[in-house]
Amino acid sequence: MRAALAGNPNSGKTTLFNAITGRVERVGNWPGVTIEKKEGRIKKSINKINEDIIVVDLPGAYSMSPFTTEENITREFVKNENPDVIINIVDATNLSRSLFFTSQLLELDIPVVIALNKSDLAKKKETVIDIEKLSEKLGCQVVETVSTRSKNNGLDNLITAIVNAKGRKQAAPFDGTGVDMTDKSAVEAMDRKRYEFVKGIVEEVEERKVSSNRQTRQDMADRILAHKWLGIPFFALVMWAVFSISQVHIGPLLADIFVGWIDGFYAWAEVLLDGVSPVLKAILLDGIIGGVGAVVGFLPLIMVLFFLLALLEDCGYMARVAVVMDRFFKRIGLSGKSIIPMIIGTGCAIPGVMAARTIKNERQRRTTVMLTPFMPCGAKLPVIALFTGVFFDEAPWAGTTMYFMAICIIVVSALVISRITGEANSRSFFIMELPEYRVPSIKRAVISMFSQARAFIIKAGTIILLSNMAVQLMQTFNWKFQLDAEGTEGTSILAAIASPFAVLLIPLGFGAWQLAAASITGFIAKENVVGTLAVVYGITNFIDLEEFVLVSGSASVAGIMGLTSVAALSYLMFNLFTPPCFAAIGAMNSEMENKKWLWGAIAFQFGMGYTVSFLTYQIGTLLTTGAPGNGFLPGLAAVAAMIACTAYLVKKGNQKAAEKLALSA
Amino acid sequence: MANIIVSLIILGIVVAAVSKIVIEKRRGAKCIGCPYSKSEGNCSCND
Repeated sequence: MRAALAGNPNSGKTTLFNAITGRVERVGNWPGVTIEKKEGRIKKSINKINEDIIVVDLPGAYSMSPFTTEENITREFVKNENPDVIINIVDATNLSRSLFFTSQLLELDIPVVIALNKSDLAKKKETVIDIEKLSEKLGCQVVETVSTRSKNNGLDNLITAIVNAKGRKQAAPFDGTGVDMTDKSAVEAMDRKRYEFVKGIVEEVEERKVSSNRQTRQDMADRILAHKWLGIPFFALVMWAVFSISQVHIGPLLADIFVGWIDGFYAWAEVLLDGVSPVLKAILLDGIIGGVGAVVGFLPLIMVLFFLLALLEDCGYMARVAVVMDRFFKRIGLSGKSIIPMIIGTGCAIPGVMAARTIKNERQRRTTVMLTPFMPCGAKLPVIALFTGVFFDEAPWAGTTMYFMAICIIVVSALVISRITGEANSRSFFIMELPEYRVPSIKRAVISMFSQARAFIIKAGTIILLSNMAVQLMQTFNWKFQLDAEGTEGTSILAAIASPFAVLLIPLGFGAWQLAAASITGFIAKENVVGTLAVVYGITNFIDLEEFVLVSGSASVAGIMGLTSVAALSYLMFNLFTPPCFAAIGAMNSEMENKKWLWGAIAFQFGMGYTVSFLTYQIGTLLTTGAPGNGFLPGLAAVAAMIACTAYLVKKGNQKAAEKLALSA
Repeated sequence: MANIIVSLIILGIVVAAVSKIVIEKRRGAKCIGCPYSKSEGNCSCND
């Protein structure tokens, strides 16, 4: 048996899907989280029949009209794949809007069961819905559900209703079929009639105690949090608090304990490997345990950060951030919807890039795909945490600045791209339904945190482990496959590969081959930057800064890596703002569907990362020492060439825009 | 003898890591370990 979950965006479909299937698909308290259909089997604990019930979670849709890609997926599935039953999730707090889509689903001759979700919130608002009357009016069974609850959630009743509905004939209380979909006025007239029908039902079944024009506490909160000017400093404050808790206070506290275990394991293995060949010992101890351990050491910091971000998402705040940012985005030629892929991209760039497919306009979609990887993703967090801890005394502003820097880069880049593509005059409009504020669910935040932790550990145990082993081997041997003697690592395979790149990085303040090698391995997975640094510098514990002293015999951390604080900031920015990992580039390729755009995007990201890093290092060095840094002139020439090339493309784009404007006039 | 054991351990670790990558890739995961890549069929790193 196959049942489709369909309903308006942010009505709680995926939360209900997770609750009845036991899956952990991502949920978010804003519309448009799901963009592809997902399948799962109903859990045995609530499925009392012998038959398997497969549930398909569909992206949210306001109507059966294919306005967006995700609405199209829903429409095509419901119309062509003939599910046995449609479970229509109706938001009990917004009945009138939800029933428009319901009335269309009822016309498909497929049995419908309505899950009146969020009924707890409706009751809290003192909204009373006559379930029996609603069921009678619509001609289908209506079941109250609260999918966020683990008990008394109505899910058992829902499953029973689904089983009973299979094979039943479904009558449509409103017949809107036979309208010529190509005739706009006929469609609009039918929509008006449908709204009247829905309004009639709502008037009969719903009783609201709270007047809709009364200003609620939620409205008052929005006056500050979603305010066009106040919203920005508030967002900065929130991000600062998130970084302060995750990277300075609770995160390191937990990390210390965790790293202590890793160190203990390292010491135990070291004793055990006494008398083993130095090469094997180096691979196992420094490459595998040391390299992976250095990355995994940041796990507690990342878990705390994702826990806090999940709370922010769940309480409805992130949707307000989208609204605050929208006014900037539409002025720079992006879609207001572009903010959603970017927020998702803070977790991982790949789902972020894929979320851009909800944007209809092709140029805006491709631009969003190009710019989303600029947001620091979870994989980049260990790099941020390492440099924040080592060079900036764990100051929370350093991590927060990276996010705001990313936003600035996105704004500037979008502006440039809109000019290059000749779309400088285009404007877009974004309507997003703001979800209600709610107390965030600790359970959902914990699930999100452990999902991210699991992903991090799997990545560390696979890609990062293999990369670190390869790095260790390449550092151990030279091109003649002879062991490098201590102190002659400069002749190793790794040094030989990384050195030519290191020369290009001198104007950015980090011309050491070790740092270049770490950046290169970062393209396999960004966490590799930390892992490789651990291997090449022989440091297994980045959390405990005293270890640096032991390794180098110097009290200065800068002495080990050969970096000043300014150069360290430059290196951090280079790793954050150059192209993402290969997997994310693959996702960009499939979403852009255009090789010219893809290569343009990679070149642009390289150019942007190089320029930002160059400016950071040179200006910073000038301010701190009174003279520009190393390689100023060659670097300036390279940056000037990139800017000249961009200016030429912008000029060509402006001509195209002027021609378009003249044609439309 | 100790060298052989350590070599086997390293080999075992490498085989396990490569196998995990192959399994995840066969499942259609675009990113190894992605928490949202468990959907039947294609990877659904989509939300």
